[in-house]
Amino acid sequence: MWGSFFRMGFRVLMRQKKFFLLNLAGLTIGIVAFVFIYLYVENALYYDRSWKNYQHIYRVNETYSTGGKAEKMALTPYLLAGKLKDNFPGIIESTRLFFTDPSDKNDVSSVDYGGKMYDIPNLTIGDTRVFKIFNYHFTEGNPDSCLVHPNSMVLSLAMKKTIFGNKPALGKKLKTSIRTYTVTGVFDKTNRPSHLEFDAIISTNSLDKHEQQQLYTNWFWMNCYTYVELADSVNVKKFVQRVNYFADTAIGHYIQKQKIKISGYAHLNFQPIQKIHFSKGLLYDSHSNINITYLYIFVTVALFILLMASINYINFATARSLKRVRETGVRKVMGAFQKQLMLQYISEALIITFTAFILSLSLVELLMPAFNSLVNRHITLVDSLFSGSGLVFGFLLIMFMLLLALFSGSFPAFVLSSLKPVEVLGGRGLILRSNKKHVFTTVRLRKFLVVVQYLVAIGVIISTLIIAAQVHYVKNRPLGFDKKDVVVINSPADTSFRSRAANFIMALKTDTNIEQVTTASSLPGYLTEKILVRSGDSAVGHLQTLDGFFVGYHYFDLLKIPLVKGKYFSAVKPNDSVEPFIVNEAAIRFLGLKHPLGSFLYTPYAKKGRIIGVVKNFNFSSLHQKVEPLIFVLRPQFIQYVVVRINPHKKKEALAHIRNVWKKYNKGYTMYYTFLDQKLDTLYRSDQKMLSLFFYFSLFVILISALGLFGLSSFLIEQRSKEISIRKVLGGSEKQIVLMLVKEYLVLVLIAGALISPVVYYFIGKWLNSFAYHIHLNLCYFVAGILLVLLIAFFTVLLQALFMVRKRPVDALKYE
Amino acid sequence: MIETKQLKKVFKSADIETVALAGIDLKVEEGEFVSVMGPSGCGKTTLLNLLGMIDVATSGDYFFMGKDVCSLREKQRTHLRKENIGFVFQNFNLIEELSIWENIELPLIYQGVKKSERKRLIMDVIDRLEITHRKDLLPVQLSGGQQQRVAVARAIITRPHLLLADEPTGNLDSMHGEEVMNILDELNKAGMTIVMVTHSHHDASYSRRIVHLFDGQIINENLNRI
Repeated sequence: MWGSFFRMGFRVLMRQKKFFLLNLAGLTIGIVAFVFIYLYVENALYYDRSWKNYQHIYRVNETYSTGGKAEKMALTPYLLAGKLKDNFPGIIESTRLFFTDPSDKNDVSSVDYGGKMYDIPNLTIGDTRVFKIFNYHFTEGNPDSCLVHPNSMVLSLAMKKTIFGNKPALGKKLKTSIRTYTVTGVFDKTNRPSHLEFDAIISTNSLDKHEQQQLYTNWFWMNCYTYVELADSVNVKKFVQRVNYFADTAIGHYIQKQKIKISGYAHLNFQPIQKIHFSKGLLYDSHSNINITYLYIFVTVALFILLMASINYINFATARSLKRVRETGVRKVMGAFQKQLMLQYISEALIITFTAFILSLSLVELLMPAFNSLVNRHITLVDSLFSGSGLVFGFLLIMFMLLLALFSGSFPAFVLSSLKPVEVLGGRGLILRSNKKHVFTTVRLRKFLVVVQYLVAIGVIISTLIIAAQVHYVKNRPLGFDKKDVVVINSPADTSFRSRAANFIMALKTDTNIEQVTTASSLPGYLTEKILVRSGDSAVGHLQTLDGFFVGYHYFDLLKIPLVKGKYFSAVKPNDSVEPFIVNEAAIRFLGLKHPLGSFLYTPYAKKGRIIGVVKNFNFSSLHQKVEPLIFVLRPQFIQYVVVRINPHKKKEALAHIRNVWKKYNKGYTMYYTFLDQKLDTLYRSDQKMLSLFFYFSLFVILISALGLFGLSSFLIEQRSKEISIRKVLGGSEKQIVLMLVKEYLVLVLIAGALISPVVYYFIGKWLNSFAYHIHLNLCYFVAGILLVLLIAFFTVLLQALFMVRKRPVDALKYE
Repeated sequence: MIETKQLKKVFKSADIETVALAGIDLKVEEGEFVSVMGPSGCGKTTLLNLLGMIDVATSGDYFFMGKDVCSLREKQRTHLRKENIGFVFQNFNLIEELSIWENIELPLIYQGVKKSERKRLIMDVIDRLEITHRKDLLPVQLSGGQQQRVAVARAIITRPHLLLADEPTGNLDSMHGEEVMNILDELNKAGMTIVMVTHSHHDASYSRRIVHLFDGQIINENLNRI
């Protein structure tokens, strides 16, 4: 019997191609969006859950304050891991990884193999214990011993493939400018979504002796991520208290021994490893971290999209079924039972839902590469669907499709099959009249459902507009310096460059397209140093932490940072006993200096110093943050970056010149450079990503709601074909009648817009407040969003209305 | 007022061609009252639809008040119809969502008549047709006869030159039918041209001329009441 139902269902659908395709498209789009969002969320939730014992692994973060506001950071001193392991038996294992900044290409190390240079994008330093906690699968080498010897290097499988192809890597030598490393292991990162991003790791004891000495004694050199694995029995809360007591004492001893004057506090926090991916507000945290609020938003949007698709589907199916009253009547007269009629409708629904299901999974697979590059992940459908939670998801999805089919199929079956055959066959007029009440209520319900859809559509679109405006704002707001036409060249990660630097810079300046050159340890948009400063002219008083830039001469003229008082470094003569400092306005307020010019400052980095200039506040970090107190120390010899301002009209020529000079002075090194404005744009990468995701959400939501409106209006307008004909016969023009038809739907959109606007205002306002500098919400965004949706709705309904109005009136009237 | 020459209408569906009208030559003078009679399916309603310009002929010529209707564009036809023709249907075709008043007002709105003028015209016609006290009701709240009177009121509100009636008494009992026929008779006497399709010899007796259709052709015409 099912066979005949399906055969019949298939024929019915083929006869109603427009309906079939609309319905299929709506449902498919809905499922595609839903599955993508699911995959993304599932992947995010799986971050750092693949480690053995991950429930007991913690990263140690630090909150500290030296007067002023407290800073939270993910970094701790190198010695912490060892001290903890030695003093607390509750710690099964501890390890640390050196901090590297993956957003800065300076940390790309170039290695030489067989005369060819290869870049390792993310290289860190660690010891054997790393792989005790992070139990990567090793395809070559032994995780227990691979980092025991100096000059050992362990590569990720992907990195190994880039350098060695399919040949074994173990024992091979990789040369950098100063050392030769031996490959001692290869680990596989596949299916291990983690905040750890390193592609290669070298053994800590490769560092030179002096540096190692510092690492083992200095409590204030925060340069490592510390990880601990705790025993099952440990009560974490109490344990953290004991650890902090221990650390306080140890730091106290250290301060006393080193005779440092500092007041403030430091507090160690244990962060469960699976929560790192969602942590925020920590300095030097992983770049792949995401805001968990975004996940909630995504899940909500996903559910709404699925809901909308389902509403449309049911709306279509039931509306369509009202056209089949006569067929149902005939079937009943022929002796069909209600159950058989229901099965007929359900089998038709099953055909659509399962076609949509298969189609959408194929589409997901097809669009996966594009999706992965959008969200910067490596998700595969097969891996996600056939893992533990994926199977549950797949099962739930199939159950959902079944339920949808069951519901949308049984609704018309119930209504239609409950009619008496004599009513059904008695003529069309009779049916509409006897069914009037029913038709009326479903029309109201349908309109309600359309309003719900438009709530979502307008909400998402207004949000997208505002996010786009804010992203545009942060990228174009004047920052207080000139970010255009500045090339930042990363100096080679090699101490020998210092000796060549002066000549390199001189050579750069020989071209007329090079306007100015300076050197720096940091620039706006880059990570800053933290500098401890004591104000006042004596050695008493307490140290306070400021952001610090080590810069060369002409730094300020090059970046066009205006001076408020005093002078630039370039205007002072070198003085051996007193060091010149320049500070920004925020620093003066922070340090409470009434007459800043000439005030003395002390830093552990420098001798006694004096403020020679005050520059205007400029935004040196992302616009999420206010301008912080900042101090500039003159250090032309600290060359992390060579900064070049070029002729804006001769960019190509200038860059060609820079390349030539680089080749001459840095043979064998790749030149890594970026334009300062591009680097600053990367500060808003996560906002940009949010924007592109919202953009796609908008597309999906618009498509689905337009499809929904198209279906509903086509049904309702068709229902009114007789009225339309009467109006035409009475002299109504096309324009008048179309306007009358379209107006109703536009009112629905306006109602939805009025309802959702305050909600968007509240939530998007919260998001905007995460920026210290943001656009002001005004009515324009809301009006624009509603207008856009209004326009789409207008054309959707217009299509239907025109089609109906263009029909000759006699077609609708002749049946009467 | 009306002249058709070899007017033909053929309906096509899939492979089957149905000839509804097979060359009609008909003349209706100004002020005439003509009935069209014939068995079901002979093409009466089709003829009326063509005369009323709510459908177009397959071939042949149709002149309305001297204008060649077949050569006009849809918009021009609509305009011509709006100005000159009123319709009364067997099943009234009132818009169910609108009140009696609003139903009657509709053609005036479409003609762009001012509100005060509309009010005057409607008051005048509903008074004449004795439906004033029901003006705020919905069509479903009226009896069949009353609904048809509303339909007639709506048809004549714009003072058309030609009134087309498709079995105006078909859904009414004899008493209400009589009432409607009397109204049509009065309108004709006042100078309105009427073409009416009917099955009823009694109704046809109100007209001056009867045209008999059979299988899409005029088989005879006879004059009444001379």
